[in-house]
Amino acid sequence: MMTATNTGKPLRIAGLTKTYETRSGETVEALGPVSVDVEAGEFLVIVGPTGCGKSTLLQVLAGFLKPTAGAALVGGQPITGPSVDRSMVFQSYALFPWLSVLENVEFGLARKEIPPRRRRELALHHLRLVGLHDFANKSIDELSGGMKQRVAIARAFAVEPSIMLMDEPFGALDALTRRFLQRELLRIWQEQRRTVVFITHSVIEAIFLADRILVMSSRPGRIKAEWRVDAPRPRDVTSEELRGLEREIYALLDEELAKSFDIELSAGASAGE
Amino acid sequence: MRSRAATSAAPFATTVRIPFAATARSLPFLYAAVTIVLIWQFVVILTKPDPSVLPQPITVAWTLGHLLRDGELGLDTAYSLGRVISAWLLSAIVAIPLGLLMGSSRRLERLINPFVELLRPISPLAWIPLAILWFGIGESGKIFVVFIGTFFPMLLSTIAGVKGIDPILLHAGQVFGCTTRVALFLRVMVPASMPSIVVGLRVAFGTGWAAIIAAELVAAHTGLGYLIANGMDILRADEVLAGMIAIGVLGFLFDTFFRYLQGRYARNAG
Ligand SMILES: Nc1ncnc2c1ncn2[C@@H]1O[C@H](COP(=O)(O)OP(=O)(O)OP(=O)(O)O)[C@@H](O)[C@H]1O
Ligand SMILES: [Mg+2]
Repeated sequence: MMTATNTGKPLRIAGLTKTYETRSGETVEALGPVSVDVEAGEFLVIVGPTGCGKSTLLQVLAGFLKPTAGAALVGGQPITGPSVDRSMVFQSYALFPWLSVLENVEFGLARKEIPPRRRRELALHHLRLVGLHDFANKSIDELSGGMKQRVAIARAFAVEPSIMLMDEPFGALDALTRRFLQRELLRIWQEQRRTVVFITHSVIEAIFLADRILVMSSRPGRIKAEWRVDAPRPRDVTSEELRGLEREIYALLDEELAKSFDIELSAGASAGE
Repeated sequence: MRSRAATSAAPFATTVRIPFAATARSLPFLYAAVTIVLIWQFVVILTKPDPSVLPQPITVAWTLGHLLRDGELGLDTAYSLGRVISAWLLSAIVAIPLGLLMGSSRRLERLINPFVELLRPISPLAWIPLAILWFGIGESGKIFVVFIGTFFPMLLSTIAGVKGIDPILLHAGQVFGCTTRVALFLRVMVPASMPSIVVGLRVAFGTGWAAIIAAELVAAHTGLGYLIANGMDILRADEVLAGMIAIGVLGFLFDTFFRYLQGRYARNAG
């Protein structure tokens, strides 16, 4: 809708699985196999029942975890470890409390060896994008939860990543703040067109934000279904069409959630024998 | 109208509230001090002890004033404090880097922790005889004892600080460009464990202050510990008590100062 240049890179996830080994030697199949192709600049939202492996998937994409099988490629290059090129917004903000708001946003820029002058400019620009320009010199604990997450968003976008990974970034916020930040996020994304992989428990949030919604099955998580959402932004999620989509997605999630609870119950039963 | 009322009230509120808060905070300590003096006085009246065993509070206050005026107390305080500070700094230089490394490397911790656990239960006071044998009664022996006394609180606090870092902060550090272990260590682990390190510094200063007095009791010609040991030798309980009061008040003041620093640091660090 805007004449934004596409600054994201495509992400290819091919046959990705992750199996955890617990201390007691048991194995937990957490994920997959999952195969997805995300276009450059696409806003992809993933929903799925709790414990299905969404965070695991994002940690593999961030480079914190090695996949057990399969691969993830960014712009054709396999992911080998964490990189500023794949930025992240965490549910619990993960801001550095010993740094000021501005220093938090500058942190990644300093590691990219951007000269101090330019660093400051970029950081202030991104703080302006999230409306916290006036709070640049405040310390983190002077901010509300919503403001912290805006700083985290500014920090993540400031490093100009090709891919933005967001694991339930608004999960800890109240409904109003959440609504506000969803709009802010969309505005920044529309301006910069980075590739986004966004995880949420909120179906409405998915519908409001996504170019494409993936629904995952219960653990080990696979792609169960996908929807492309073409409605123009800003979207009215109370429209008849989007309400219908919401009902469809919930029907599927309910089914998967029931399964995941069955798994838990039977596992508990066998452990008790 | 309303804004004018607010501005005219503000200076009044600030000038009154700050001293009030300070007074309110010191009130419990004042209460404790007054109670101790009252009980002491009461015991003296009831049992009428020999003044060389238990003098009156007023006599001790007099002696304290005298010691202050002739500069003896100031000099002994300077000696004791100088020893504690040098040993405490020396200890910090060793314990903090070691704690940071032990907290971040499980292998190093496994290598060194057994030594720590074996040596830690030996009170710094138990090292005094050995310190005298090794170093005589010069400065190095006392610094050695205080070093032992300050080392373990600092080390343990630093290790706990590193281990208590929220793993999500380490992830954030990695995402935002700390790609090597060294970068992550310097940029995230060290600052994140700072509040806990400051606690260690404070606690260690307290144990160091206790240790120096003990060391000076047996092996010194200067310092507050020597002052009270000497008071005992010349049967001057008033000097002993005056010295004890000085030790207590100074220890309390140092701790209050460190708490203040800690509070400031915590506010900056969140
Ligand atoms: N380090 C680990 N070791 C063993 N098992 C793990 C580990 N981390 C996660 N798991 C298991 O893997 C599965 C997927 O976990 P994950 O955190 O990816 O789920 P999720 O979809 O993000 O859940 P939620 O929606 O509740 O955040 C879960 O069953 C979890 O118990
Ligand atoms: Mg999760």
